[in-house]
Amino acid sequence: MVKYNSQRIAYPYFALSLLLFVLQVLMGLWLAANYAFTLPQGLVDVFPFSTARAMHTNLLVLWMLLGFMGGAYYLVPEEAETEIYSPALAYLQLLLLAATGVTALVGFVFGWTQGRPLLEIPTALDIVVVIGALMFLFNIGMTMFKGRKWTVIQGTLLGGLVFLALLYLFGMPFYKNLSMDWYYWWWVIHLWVEGAWELVTGAIIAWVLLKLTGVPRGVVEKWLYVEIGLFLFTGIAGTGHHYYWIGAPRYWLWVGGIFSALEPVPIILMVVDTLRHVKERKLEIVNPLTWVYAVGCAIFHFVGAGVWGFIHTLPQINYYTHGSQVTVSHGHMAFFGAYALLNLTVFYFVLPRLKGIERYDERLGRIGFWTMNLAMIGLGLAFGVAGVLQTYLERILGLGYMTAQANMQFWFVIAIFLGVVFLFGLLVTVYDLFTIRKAPAV
Amino acid sequence: MNISQGAAKWIFILGTVSSIIIFLVLTVDTHRQIGALTNAEALSEDVIAGKRVWQKNNCNDCHTILGFGGYYAPDLTKAYRRLGEENLRRVISEPDKYFEKSFRKMPKQNISPEEVSSLVAFLKWTSEIDNNDWPPQDRDRATGAAARLTVSSTVSPGAALFKEHGCLQCHRINGVGGTAGPELDKVGTKYDAAAIKDRILNPQSYNTDSVMPPATEIDEEDVDKIVEFLSTLK
Repeated sequence: MVKYNSQRIAYPYFALSLLLFVLQVLMGLWLAANYAFTLPQGLVDVFPFSTARAMHTNLLVLWMLLGFMGGAYYLVPEEAETEIYSPALAYLQLLLLAATGVTALVGFVFGWTQGRPLLEIPTALDIVVVIGALMFLFNIGMTMFKGRKWTVIQGTLLGGLVFLALLYLFGMPFYKNLSMDWYYWWWVIHLWVEGAWELVTGAIIAWVLLKLTGVPRGVVEKWLYVEIGLFLFTGIAGTGHHYYWIGAPRYWLWVGGIFSALEPVPIILMVVDTLRHVKERKLEIVNPLTWVYAVGCAIFHFVGAGVWGFIHTLPQINYYTHGSQVTVSHGHMAFFGAYALLNLTVFYFVLPRLKGIERYDERLGRIGFWTMNLAMIGLGLAFGVAGVLQTYLERILGLGYMTAQANMQFWFVIAIFLGVVFLFGLLVTVYDLFTIRKAPAV
Repeated sequence: MNISQGAAKWIFILGTVSSIIIFLVLTVDTHRQIGALTNAEALSEDVIAGKRVWQKNNCNDCHTILGFGGYYAPDLTKAYRRLGEENLRRVISEPDKYFEKSFRKMPKQNISPEEVSSLVAFLKWTSEIDNNDWPPQDRDRATGAAARLTVSSTVSPGAALFKEHGCLQCHRINGVGGTAGPELDKVGTKYDAAAIKDRILNPQSYNTDSVMPPATEIDEEDVDKIVEFLSTLK
C-alpha cells in the first residue's frame, strides 16, 4: 500500500520519536518525585530538578518534531506524486538530529546549557539543528518542486515548516534585557505551538482525514483554509497573553486578552469539521481505532488547549495563576491533546500501511488509547487542583512559597501514580505500534 | 454553513495578514517603550554578567522569573525586595545550609563570590521592572497576609516589621515561614527581651554556624519593636 518507496523514510523517524516519548515520560515521573518527596542534598547537587526538566521538555520538542518530519516524508510523495528528492539526505538528517539530541541530553547533565527554559540547547548545537532543519526544508521543497501536483495541503505544510525554521532563529542570540529575552522567547515557543505547528499538523491531519474519509479534496481544503486563517488570526496577536507581566506596555493586556479569548474558535471549528467529515464519509471505516484517535485528538485539543487555555489567559485570572501549577496543568493537557495524539493518529495511520496491512489488530491499541487518555485527564486535574491551591495560598493569602508547596505535596503523589498509569498505556501503545499485525479473520 | 473556496482563501489571507500587522506594529512600539519600563539605563555590565551567571547555572529551570521557567522553586522577579541583598547572597552561596531542614533542596553550584555579586545585581535590576505589579504576593500594596495571620491575636507593629524585614523567610511562627532558622512560636518563654535583641544583633556570637545576617542594617527603633513582638510569643 506504499505508493512511493521513499515513503518508508517515515519509519525510522517514527521509531526514534516513540523511543524519545517513553524517555520523556520517565523523566516526567522523576520530576513528579522531586515534588512529592525530599531528595538528599548529595543527589540534588549532582542531578538537580533543573537538569531533569531540561531533558523532559527537550525530549518533548524533539520527539514531536521527528514525528512531524516523518509524517511529512510519508505525505509529500503521495501529494506531489513523486519520490522524495533525496532519501539519503533524509536519513543523514535523521542521524544528525539524533546525534544532536543525544549530545544535548548528555551535555545537560554536565551543565552544558544556554540556561533558557525549553531553549537550553547551547548555541553550537543550535547551529547543527538549523543545518538539520535546512536539509529537511530543502528535501521537502525540492520534492514538491519536482512533483507534478501542487495542493493546498502541501502549501500549508511547507509554509508551516518555513515559518517554524525562521522562528527558531529568534531563540538563538543572547539578550541583555531580560524582558526582551522573554519577548522573543515567545516568538519561538508560542508562535511555534500556536502558529507554525498548527499549520504543519493542520495540513497533516487534513490529509489523513482526506484519505480516511474520501470526502472531496475541495471540501477538505476549503475548511483547512478557514481553520488555519483563524488559527493565525487569533494565534499571532494572541502571543500578547504572554506579555502581561514582563514589563511590556500595558496595551498587551487588551490585545492578549481579546485575541486569546478568540483562540478556541478555530479549535471548535476543527472539531465540528472533523466530525462532519466522519459523518459525510464516502469510504467505509476499515480501522476504527485510527478514527478514534483522530476524533479523540480533535476533542482533547479543544479541551486542553481551548478550554484550559481560555480560562487562564484572561488577564484578570492570569494575574493569579501565571507561573503556577495551573500552567503545568494547561501545558500537559494542551500538548497531549493537540500534538501527542496527533502524532499517534499519524503513526496508527501510516505504520500499518508501511507493513502492507489493511485491517490491523487493534485490541492492544485500544487499551493504550484509553489508558493514556484517562491518565492524562487525571494528571491535568491533579496539577490543576495543586495549582488552584497554590494560587489561593501563595498569591491570595500571601503565605510563603514553601508553605504553599507543603500543602500541595499530596497531589504530586497522585501525579506519580497517574504518571505510572500513563507510562503503562504508552508502553502498550509503543509495543503495539512496533509489532502491528493483521486483524484476525472475522 | 456553506462558503466558497474563494471566500475561504480570503478568510485565510485577511486573517493572517491583519494579525501579523497588528503584532509587528505593537512590537515596534514595545521596543520604543521597553527601555523606560525596564530601566534599561541601569543595565550595567555587572547586571548583564549576572544574567549570564543566571543562564550558566540553569537557575531558570527550577525558579520562575517574570513567571516563566520551572515551577519547582519560588519566583525571583521581586526576590530582591522580599529577601534583601544579604539574604540573597547567603542563599545562593550556601543553599545546603540554608535549606538543611527544608523538604526541598537547592543544588550547591559553587558560584564564585564575584558571580554571586553579579547575580544579586541582576536580581536587583529585575525587581525594578515595571511589570503591572506582578507577582501578587510581592506586589507594592501587599500588606502581608502572612503577618496578619501570624499576629491574628496580637496586633503589633513589631509583627509587621518582622514580616517586612524578611524574618519569615527562615523562621516559622505558628506554622508560617521558612525552615532554615529555628521556630519562634514560644521564643518569649526561652529568652527575655534583652537576650532576644542580643541574638538578633549578633547571631554568630551564639552559634558560629548560623547563616542569619546580623540585623545591623535595620533601624534600632525597628529592632526594638521586633524584639517587643517576639517577647510576647509565649
